[in-house]
Amino acid sequence: MVFSSILFLFRFLPAAFVLYYLCPRRFRNGLLFVLSLIFYSWGEVRYFPIMIASTLVDYIAGQGIKHFGQKSLAARRGFLIMSVFFNLGMLFFFKYTNFFIENLNAIAGLSIPLQNITLPLGISFYTFQTMSYTIDVYRGDVEVEDNIINFGAYVVLFPQLIAGPIVRYSDVARELKERVITLPMVEEGVAIFIRGLGRKVLIANSCGALWTEVGALGYGAISSPLAWLGILAYSIQIYFDFSGYSLMAIGLGKMLGFQFPQNFNDPYVSKSATEFWRRWHMTLGSWFREYVYIPLGGNRCSPARNIFNIFVVWFLTGLWHGASWNFVLWGLTFFVLLVIEKQGFLQVLNRHPVLSRCYMIPVILLSWSLFAITDFSQLGTFLGRLFSFTGGIDWIYYLRNYAMVLLIGILFSTPLMKKAGDWIEQKTGSRIPRLAGLVLVLVLSVAYLVDATYNPFLYFRF
Amino acid sequence: MNKVKEILHYPLLLIFAGLILITTVLDLATPAKSFSEMENRYLAQRPEMTIRSLMAQDEDQKYSIQYEEYTNDQFIGRDGWITLKSIAESALGKIENNGIAYGDDHYMFAKMQYFSDLQNRQYPRNISFIQQMAEKYPQMKIAFGIIPNSYAVLWEKVPFGLENINQEAGIAEIYQGITAPNVEKLYFLPLLQEHRDEYIYYRTDHHWTTLGAYYGYQEVVRSLGMEPVSLEELAPLAHEVNDFYGTYYSRAKAYNAVPDTITWYDIPVTSVKVGDEEKGALNDLAQFEKRDKYAGLLWSNNGLTVIKSDNNRYHEDGKTSRILYLKDSYGNSFAPYLTYHYDEVWVVDMRYNAMLSPILEMAEFDQVLVMYNYTTFTEESNIYKLVS
Repeated sequence: MVFSSILFLFRFLPAAFVLYYLCPRRFRNGLLFVLSLIFYSWGEVRYFPIMIASTLVDYIAGQGIKHFGQKSLAARRGFLIMSVFFNLGMLFFFKYTNFFIENLNAIAGLSIPLQNITLPLGISFYTFQTMSYTIDVYRGDVEVEDNIINFGAYVVLFPQLIAGPIVRYSDVARELKERVITLPMVEEGVAIFIRGLGRKVLIANSCGALWTEVGALGYGAISSPLAWLGILAYSIQIYFDFSGYSLMAIGLGKMLGFQFPQNFNDPYVSKSATEFWRRWHMTLGSWFREYVYIPLGGNRCSPARNIFNIFVVWFLTGLWHGASWNFVLWGLTFFVLLVIEKQGFLQVLNRHPVLSRCYMIPVILLSWSLFAITDFSQLGTFLGRLFSFTGGIDWIYYLRNYAMVLLIGILFSTPLMKKAGDWIEQKTGSRIPRLAGLVLVLVLSVAYLVDATYNPFLYFRF
Repeated sequence: MNKVKEILHYPLLLIFAGLILITTVLDLATPAKSFSEMENRYLAQRPEMTIRSLMAQDEDQKYSIQYEEYTNDQFIGRDGWITLKSIAESALGKIENNGIAYGDDHYMFAKMQYFSDLQNRQYPRNISFIQQMAEKYPQMKIAFGIIPNSYAVLWEKVPFGLENINQEAGIAEIYQGITAPNVEKLYFLPLLQEHRDEYIYYRTDHHWTTLGAYYGYQEVVRSLGMEPVSLEELAPLAHEVNDFYGTYYSRAKAYNAVPDTITWYDIPVTSVKVGDEEKGALNDLAQFEKRDKYAGLLWSNNGLTVIKSDNNRYHEDGKTSRILYLKDSYGNSFAPYLTYHYDEVWVVDMRYNAMLSPILEMAEFDQVLVMYNYTTFTEESNIYKLVS
């Protein structure tokens, strides 16, 4: 099930929250566990056992590590390896088997048939989440969870289950045991949820339709201005879609009594690629830093080793986004940019706000072309359209149709709109304008969901 | 009590909870509708929960997908929500919805910028079916015409920069593929373009109007060496049906659409037989009261319709002249004009259980006319019935 649907808003949401608030506190985690399993299995019943297995394996790993405590390092390590092996193995099996076969066939000239595997929803997110628990327990960074219901509720917690943020066990360990739900917190959660819903339904979907249409016309059949318009639309779509989901998750979390970490912080105003990755999908970045980069030695090692460490992180970051070489290329592009910026370019960028945007905006748009187009020959055609000028009038129609939504997307990509909101609130001394705005966004989102002509779920391959 | 008072300090929470809960309860309490007048389509009904549908792998077999469609289709106040979206889109300066572009003078146009996969498959086959038919019946006099769709004729009203498929070139390409000498090709585009300032296509529907069909008819009968009946002669027979919202409207659902007017002529007939049923009149007047008014013309689309009349101005005593007209729905306003030139007009829509060869055995025909609109011709999957 996805948040941006009539089914979620007018079936699951009211039922789940009424039950949750009526439920005595000590049963709430159990209820959350059951509700989340329903949420997850709704679209595909066959995913159900995966969720149960995921919960059991990491629960047992945590218990095992606790049991052997100081007694046997080997046993503790064994349980850690079991968890990592299970989680990465599952991820590899479901997500990368066919990619692996394709490449093996290409390299060795074999013709192993591709397997018919459906990727379980959100597997890239929850395998990372549960692994963080076992690793942290192993390192002694967090207390082991003895209550399997509490642990199960963490693993399948529906708000962040399928599209992030990547909530580490340590982020919510305390709240799993004891959480207070206050009215201001719930109201804040509602506001965040509505903002996320509006981002996804009103902005991402509207802009995304343009990019889909550019693809349908064929990259070879469009004018250069339309190609730029298309990639601008995609850049807005991917940001608002992803940050919209994260906001909805964070909002729902607050309504349930959880504080999830922030996932996006106006990434498009970044002055450098380095800064961009501190503002984009922040929980993924910190996951890789915590569990890959630092264990490899981080930057406390030789410069060559440091560059290798950065390379590994960006190779994996790329691959994590999809089982296709273009995602790796996309990740490695950031590796190159980050290394260049490390050599002193970063200081230059930070000093020059205009120059840095002249660099970053094309970087953002071009990196999304690498991300969006999986086929390399198609990608070549598209980049050709961007850089070797091809005239035409097709863009005039699309500009006229999409100008307003693109402009709204651009404005909301900056902190300006939030500042404007604060300013109005201060000037009028009233919360009513903001309240009215949120209610309008909610009502319009429902209207756009009822007459949904384009409402994709972009993370099916994550 | 304090809690209740306290909650009043959180208006957003109150509005959100109220809106979601009340809407949900009302939605659950409202019985399902079977048909949407606004969208002119049947709505999804509550799916049956079976082991098979729960475990299905095929997307449209899945219970969850069917249930979601059902909740969406039956959502309370659906038409109102759709209108609200349309108003918001218009405020944002959008000039299309759901594949329908909004042109000048409240005209709507279906976008056709490229062929779909279906069209890429079907289009070359359909050209060859016409050619094969002409070769299979070399003695048959065949007139063949592709009717351009509205955007190709009313190009001035199409939003600037919207590059749809060039139908003039497309029709020329189709005609090039048909080389049999017994096929007379019909060119509608020049005549329709000449009259493009008149009301020859509907604003909210994909068909030509009865007037557009009249100009098409002029072209056909002149090509066959006859003179058409004049509009002045037809005028006394004219009737109008207002408030017609067509297929483009049903897709775009634009709140500010301007409805169309259907003209129909009360042309006298002696018999109209649809299948085995004698209808006694050309049009289904009751249907004009309903939403899908276009379906009132010629009793909508049927496999075989035989019209007999005493109108034939080229009647020869002792002979019954017949034309066999193979058509799509553009023909429903067109066919009646042919009664002025043939004693019997046999109208065949191959999409509705009709094949050519058995009909050829039922009677002798002086002329065969095959006419499709461009879009339908490029995607229709029943044209093989001409030759099978």
